[in-house]
Amino acid sequence: MAEHRRFTGGEAVLEVNGATVGAVINELEVRFPGLGAALRAGSSAGINGEIHAEPEFVAVNPETTIYFVAPLAGG
Amino acid sequence: MTATENPTGYKWIGTRPVRHDGYEKVVGKARFAADLDLTGQLYTAYVRSPHAHARVLSIDTAAAEAMPGVKAIVTGADFPDLDPLDPNYDVSINVMARGTALYHGHAIAAVAALTKAEARAAAAAVAVSYDVLPAVLTIDEAMAEGAPLANEENYQKFAPPGDPTNISTHTPLERGDAAEALAGADIVIEREFDAAHVHQGYIEPHACVVDAGLDGKANVWCSSQGHFMIRAVTAGILGRETSRIKVTPAEIGGGFGGKTTVYLEPVALLLSEKSGRPVKSVMTREEVLRATGPAPGCKMRVKIGATKDGELVALDAWMAYSLGAFGDFAGMVGAMSVASYKFPNLKLEAWGVLTNTPKTAAYRAPSAPHAAFAIESVIDEIAIELDMDPIDLRLKNAAVEGDLTAMGMPHPRIGFVECLEALKASPHYQSPVPEGASRGVAAGFWFNIGEQSSATVNLNEDGTATVLTGSPDIGGSRASMALMTAEELGIDVYAITPVVADTEAVGFTDVTEGSRATFATGKAVVEACRELIGELKIRAATIHGVEPDQVEWIDGAAHVEGKDPLSLAQITEQAKRTGGPLTATASLNAAGAGPSFAVHCADVTVDEETGQVTIIRYTAVQDAGTAIHPSYVEGQMQGGSVQGIGWALNEEYIYNADGVMQNAGFLDYRIPVASDIPMIETIIVEVPNPSHPYGVRGVGETGIVPPMGTLGNAIRRATGVRMTSMPMSPPKVLARLSENN
Repeated sequence: MAEHRRFTGGEAVLEVNGATVGAVINELEVRFPGLGAALRAGSSAGINGEIHAEPEFVAVNPETTIYFVAPLAGG
Repeated sequence: MTATENPTGYKWIGTRPVRHDGYEKVVGKARFAADLDLTGQLYTAYVRSPHAHARVLSIDTAAAEAMPGVKAIVTGADFPDLDPLDPNYDVSINVMARGTALYHGHAIAAVAALTKAEARAAAAAVAVSYDVLPAVLTIDEAMAEGAPLANEENYQKFAPPGDPTNISTHTPLERGDAAEALAGADIVIEREFDAAHVHQGYIEPHACVVDAGLDGKANVWCSSQGHFMIRAVTAGILGRETSRIKVTPAEIGGGFGGKTTVYLEPVALLLSEKSGRPVKSVMTREEVLRATGPAPGCKMRVKIGATKDGELVALDAWMAYSLGAFGDFAGMVGAMSVASYKFPNLKLEAWGVLTNTPKTAAYRAPSAPHAAFAIESVIDEIAIELDMDPIDLRLKNAAVEGDLTAMGMPHPRIGFVECLEALKASPHYQSPVPEGASRGVAAGFWFNIGEQSSATVNLNEDGTATVLTGSPDIGGSRASMALMTAEELGIDVYAITPVVADTEAVGFTDVTEGSRATFATGKAVVEACRELIGELKIRAATIHGVEPDQVEWIDGAAHVEGKDPLSLAQITEQAKRTGGPLTATASLNAAGAGPSFAVHCADVTVDEETGQVTIIRYTAVQDAGTAIHPSYVEGQMQGGSVQGIGWALNEEYIYNADGVMQNAGFLDYRIPVASDIPMIETIIVEVPNPSHPYGVRGVGETGIVPPMGTLGNAIRRATGVRMTSMPMSPPKVLARLSENN
């Protein structure tokens, strides 16, 4: 989400290594302190067209695009 | 009426059996939480804040405790202090204030007494002294520079550490260059919109009965959309082990998102522990309206540009949602819900804003109706300006698989185009607009979600089945579970008993929300059935003396070449001899909930002397993926439509200058009744969701998204006046007509 650019100095597109969403978040936290915590505090992730509420262990590969989105529930 | 993409040939899926729980509900035997009485139970009454924002200086309960019949009183001091980062922190503060009342009606103390009258009298005798603080009541007030804080403990989410603020979230989304595209567009329309808080209007007030045992274990009976959630949040707020609380779901008299959180149970549990008696707690209607969660209000500015051929080239939108006194994600979700059209250029800024009003809660497709009202209204203005059919304009720009939502993620297989085409071909749209009336059209989208579900299927000795799930049935899901079981096992749907089981009888299951029950819990039921069929084939192989791979399961019987088929009942009656009881359980975290689209059409007349809008015909079209039980899909579509009509035309929280709701009852907070609306005609579109074994998409929420735009567009075409403020009630319509004249 664009909110997170506050942590990245405005950068919107990042290349990050990691085999799972959690590993990607860990590397983001190292590079941009606070970003990992913000992502874990309340984000779902859209991966391959599916929204995952708890994406920590969802596998990703070099072609994967991760969309960090607001936690979705519903009525 | 259905428009089926893939004729299925199913035996049970798509049929309309009478719901299994129907008889008891029709004759009044179904038990809701307020129907339960335990020997020696106490009744509660609450002390609630008379101020929208105030420091609680002292609470003196001495006089109340000495009154007849009073057995226990709790205040915020009886609750453990949670870490502010604890996920239950805000809910904990909302169920009982700690030091500060954050809205009018915020709970300050609760009394348990032998009778309701004694509880009420004692609550009135609790002496509370307040230091009244400035209250922030509107989005403009909350966002003004130097505004007082609505909640001193709120910090902006997803932001580096900062000072407390009235902002919960700020979501900028952008792709392409909206400013440049708008500058080059042939036509640009801009409008500003606003909407009041509205309540879900469920008929059954919140209620629970709690019996805390001397062994530290508590039994809770309550009405909710998720009894595992009630258990988890109650345990979390009170610092208890989850396993020490058992929650038994009562029937639910409507939820619509409003019963996805906790209000009464932790308080009743503390009162039960203090008194040593069961405690029954039932809200009044006034309490429901003053102290539970309405949907947010909003302010929006939407600018859309298009070519003269009707191609939408850019959307520039500013959206703010008023969340009540606690932060949440409604603003972000509102931005994310912009997903119906292929805007190549988009600039969207959404805010979630705190006010000293009740903590808002989900309401069918939360946040989406507001955004759809604004965007669908402006799109209709473009259609009028270009003299284009409103469906054709939408068809030209409708999102399809692979198109990007506002949040950037591409759509999976969706059925928006199919919905638009179905409406265009419908008897309603094909009929001439009645004389004196005008016709409006609008669309809506909702994500739908999956989440965790569990199911246990027990085969009984006589060949019947009992299906246990943890999903409270708020829209006919028991019938859907039975139909999927019947289809899988090949037995009669009435040979199946679907049960909503308590927290100790079935695996963990998330809340019935996000239109997820038939999708996710249905998947668990299908998985359990398929495991059972594997075991049934093994048993049949044992009986016939063949290998399991020689057995086929066809239409409720095991078939082996050269042998008579063995029915399910013939296998279950021999279960003891072939390996014991036949049962299977499946638990899963379901991904792949298919998004759902809807398109509505209304014919209305507008009384230019009174401003009264009368709906004379209304049609709802929606993609259900596959309609497991079409009657309950239609029921959801009709229910969502009617609630959306109420939201659009009548309903609003009216606060006075002190933040006190002026219409806290159904006489003054007017939801639609049967005489207000025509029969809602329905057209189910079926574009199967590839992530569900039968193609199910959730259907509970999308139906509330299009009505506001539909009616606003119909009024515009009837009067030439664009209504931009909800509700579009007679006084507002009249005022706009007067301005226009």
